[in-house]
Amino acid sequence: MATRRDAMAVQAVIGLPLPRRRPTVVAVAGIVGLVVALLAGVGLGSVAVAPGDTIGILAHRLLGLNLAQTWTPQAETIVWDLRLPRVLEAMVVGAGLAVAGTTFQGLLRNPLADPYVLGTASGAALGAAIAVLIPIRIVFLEFGLLQGLAFVGALGSVTVVYRLARVGGGTQMTSLLLTGYAFGSLLAAGLAMAMYLSGAALRQIFAYLLGSFESASWANLGGLLPIVLIASLLVLARARSLNGLLLGEDAAAHLGIDVRRERAILLALASLITAACVAVSGLIGFIGLVIPHVVRLVVGPNARFVLPLSALIGAGLLAVADIFARSVGEIPVGVVTAAIGAPFFLFLLRRTQRGYEL
Amino acid sequence: MSPRPPLSLEPDVSATRPSRPTLAVSRRPVILAVLIAIIVAACGGGATPRPSVPPDATGSLLPPLTVTAPPSASPSPAFPTSLTDDEGTTVALKAEPRRVVSLTPAETEILFAIGAGPRVVGKVEDIANFPPAAKGVPIVGTFNGVDVEKIVAAGADLVIAGGSGGTPTDAITKLRSLGVPVLVVYASDVKGALHDIELTGSAVGHQAEATALTASMQAGFDQVAQATAGASKPRVFYETGDQPAIYGIADNSVYAQMIGLAGATPITTGSATNWEMSTEKLVAADPQLIILGDSAYGVTADAVAKRPGWADLAAVKARAIKPIDDIVVTRPGPRLVDGLWLLVAAIHPEIVLPSPPAPSPAASGG
Amino acid sequence: MSGDDAVLELAGVSGGYGRRDVVHDVDLRVRAGERLAIVGPNGAGKSTLLRLVTGLLAPTAGEIRVGGTRLASLSRDAIARRIAVVPQLASLPFSARVEEVVALGRLPYEDPLRGPGPADRAIVSAAIDRVGLGRLIGRDARELSLGERQLVLLAVAVAQAAAIVILDEPTVHLDIRHQVEVMDLLADLNERDGRTIIAVLHDLHLAARTLPRIVVLDGGRVVADGPPAEALDADRIRDVFGVDPAVMPEGPWSHAPGAAGAQSPDITSTTGAAR
Repeated sequence: MATRRDAMAVQAVIGLPLPRRRPTVVAVAGIVGLVVALLAGVGLGSVAVAPGDTIGILAHRLLGLNLAQTWTPQAETIVWDLRLPRVLEAMVVGAGLAVAGTTFQGLLRNPLADPYVLGTASGAALGAAIAVLIPIRIVFLEFGLLQGLAFVGALGSVTVVYRLARVGGGTQMTSLLLTGYAFGSLLAAGLAMAMYLSGAALRQIFAYLLGSFESASWANLGGLLPIVLIASLLVLARARSLNGLLLGEDAAAHLGIDVRRERAILLALASLITAACVAVSGLIGFIGLVIPHVVRLVVGPNARFVLPLSALIGAGLLAVADIFARSVGEIPVGVVTAAIGAPFFLFLLRRTQRGYEL
Repeated sequence: MSPRPPLSLEPDVSATRPSRPTLAVSRRPVILAVLIAIIVAACGGGATPRPSVPPDATGSLLPPLTVTAPPSASPSPAFPTSLTDDEGTTVALKAEPRRVVSLTPAETEILFAIGAGPRVVGKVEDIANFPPAAKGVPIVGTFNGVDVEKIVAAGADLVIAGGSGGTPTDAITKLRSLGVPVLVVYASDVKGALHDIELTGSAVGHQAEATALTASMQAGFDQVAQATAGASKPRVFYETGDQPAIYGIADNSVYAQMIGLAGATPITTGSATNWEMSTEKLVAADPQLIILGDSAYGVTADAVAKRPGWADLAAVKARAIKPIDDIVVTRPGPRLVDGLWLLVAAIHPEIVLPSPPAPSPAASGG
Repeated sequence: MSGDDAVLELAGVSGGYGRRDVVHDVDLRVRAGERLAIVGPNGAGKSTLLRLVTGLLAPTAGEIRVGGTRLASLSRDAIARRIAVVPQLASLPFSARVEEVVALGRLPYEDPLRGPGPADRAIVSAAIDRVGLGRLIGRDARELSLGERQLVLLAVAVAQAAAIVILDEPTVHLDIRHQVEVMDLLADLNERDGRTIIAVLHDLHLAARTLPRIVVLDGGRVVADGPPAEALDADRIRDVFGVDPAVMPEGPWSHAPGAAGAQSPDITSTTGAAR
């Protein structure tokens, strides 16, 4: 780093511009990524559909154009009912997890936080496991018991953690983090028990734990998109509070942020987004952890940029990961994101080890 | 374990077992049954599942059709019809299915046995690959999952899936939401297996062949029952696995039934849900014959004899340890009868049976 | 003194955490443009007093007024526009450039949706220059030395454009050069901008040398409030700090109270070090 300092000093002296933050570059890259992911997502699959047909189907369904139908009804079903909702759902979940991850990292002031840090993952998994074990099939508006219980489990565990953390000592955020860890471990024990008792259904529970978009559908998207979109916009509107927390809770209060209220609101919004995402797609890791850091590297810590750009990049990345996952034989998408994310996570750890005391 | 048939069916609490021939055994203490009972009670006394009816081509949800015999002299058409699958779902079939996908190895065998083989356009990967005529059928699913795209691309108008998690429920829901009729079958005992054969027959319009098949199978069971009526019933331990613990057979399982039918006393684990056999229990039960259902995984008689504590078992002393083709013994398909023959051959070598009854000529066209 | 020009007024204020009060019945009046230090032994309630003054803690008794308005009636934003606090340390979980950190000082004025405007950016630039950190623009704040980081935190307060600047032990981690730099800056902010400076200091010598008014806190009560010669005489040192003044470096406590040789403290920098 010594040479970098010297370089900067030299630059400052000669008056050359220092490396600037480039949010527009990231935005453009994100949009390009989304378009590529969309095209690949509807074009690729285990059944070959000619690109011309794919475009024709999309044009027909989206724009109402009545072109010469060169494709079979089966191809149309595959493109419109199987592939398109799947790639869109992957995008929405990717965006949601990235936004939730950014929010949790900012709220907890911890670069290693992710959307699951307050017990959301364990709660959702336990809910899903119980749903698998209960011999009742409930289908409401095409949402099954599993999604319902996963959603309830995720939100329920965050609520419990929040309540428990109130009475803890230390700074509020530390106690929240620790309580989340402790309660999450408790839930994980319950999950382990459920898995032990599950027998053949273990595979179903495991598939949920690793995350997949296999069950993506327009109905899922209809439930998921409004929640993620609205909650994310509400978080973006509070970017100022997230920024204020950069120097600490007391510093934020001194800068005019009502820390208790903002913290509760942001926690609730981020947890809602996370719960909706894990309900439809299971536990997909590393998106919420890694994407915000990648974006911050280029655009700085300002949440006004990090939030929307992380959403963009997260959407594209998860969509591509899912395409990859199903192309190589339906491996769980969580495995792909772990393979990408884990090395980056280690790299992050090494960087943070230099310490961040100001 | 996986979701059992909903409560509206007969409360047969038989142990559930995956229909594919693996060593996957369920381990379920009574605690789970109590837990589920509590949860069910809390959920308002057993919500009845809403039957999911797939929309028809116009997108509206038709009420389930019932089959009524038209008051005419000509034979009533078999289709359109609606059938109830093993999960209690009412599945409507508007026309006789011409493109069938089978997602369990047993169903593949059944379809070919009742003469619907040519209509099978997709099958699930089969460890045993039977019948040979099914070799050319494209694979649309494996142990890991089902490829919905391929099923849709094949233009399936009927999918027969495995219950109890055999086919991922996501795939079943997805197919139904796309308007493809899916029949979920799950046979937990011999009676269930016969029922599934008849259900399959009704689904593809081959009731006659199916009935003939089940009749001949039942005849075979009866034949064996007669032949073994007077014979002594040796205590038989059927081993289904040896890693990481010794696994036997659960109470009321298909295995137990089959062994009983073959004229023996099955040694079971004492639980309807736990398949693990403790060595102590085994020693107390002292089997006279050990059948190695896990022989396909490399378990040999020598290895068994060397196990600590097993040397004093009557079966080990008499070296009555026999391998068997586990798949045939329990696959709930047309070869179940063959499985019974194998069991009789192992348990009562002194009884000589004629060859197992072949399915009636009408169905043997494959 | 008339009551009208008090920029900060505490009347009978008590407060603490949980059931116990840490601060008892504190009266304090600060006029606009004053500079004062709050000193006291560990556990005297200095930090608690700060939290009460900035509204982070609600008093159990008494009233606090800022510029005549009751503190309890002000929103956090409004408080932040009147009072800026410089902590002794702040940790950054993510790397941020110096100018991005200083920009946080404009948060109380920012439009929540649109963020900082060109005027805000200009103020941030000015704050950085004022504090002398121009050469550090673009640098990662986490890589700076302790002294430079303290200056960054001071720049945040400057950008905040508040009439009152409160510093919580700003010199704890600083070497002598940076200590002087900070105290010089405070003097400059006070003289040029007319800002009121309240510094909680542990270093009695620094306090006595650089600030004209010392408030001594002990056991949660104000035990002295006046010029260093009065507030920090030898008796006070003995009573409050439990230390023999003879072991301390030269200061107001070194002479017997009221001795003819007592000198007023030198409140200008003792070195001519440029920023």
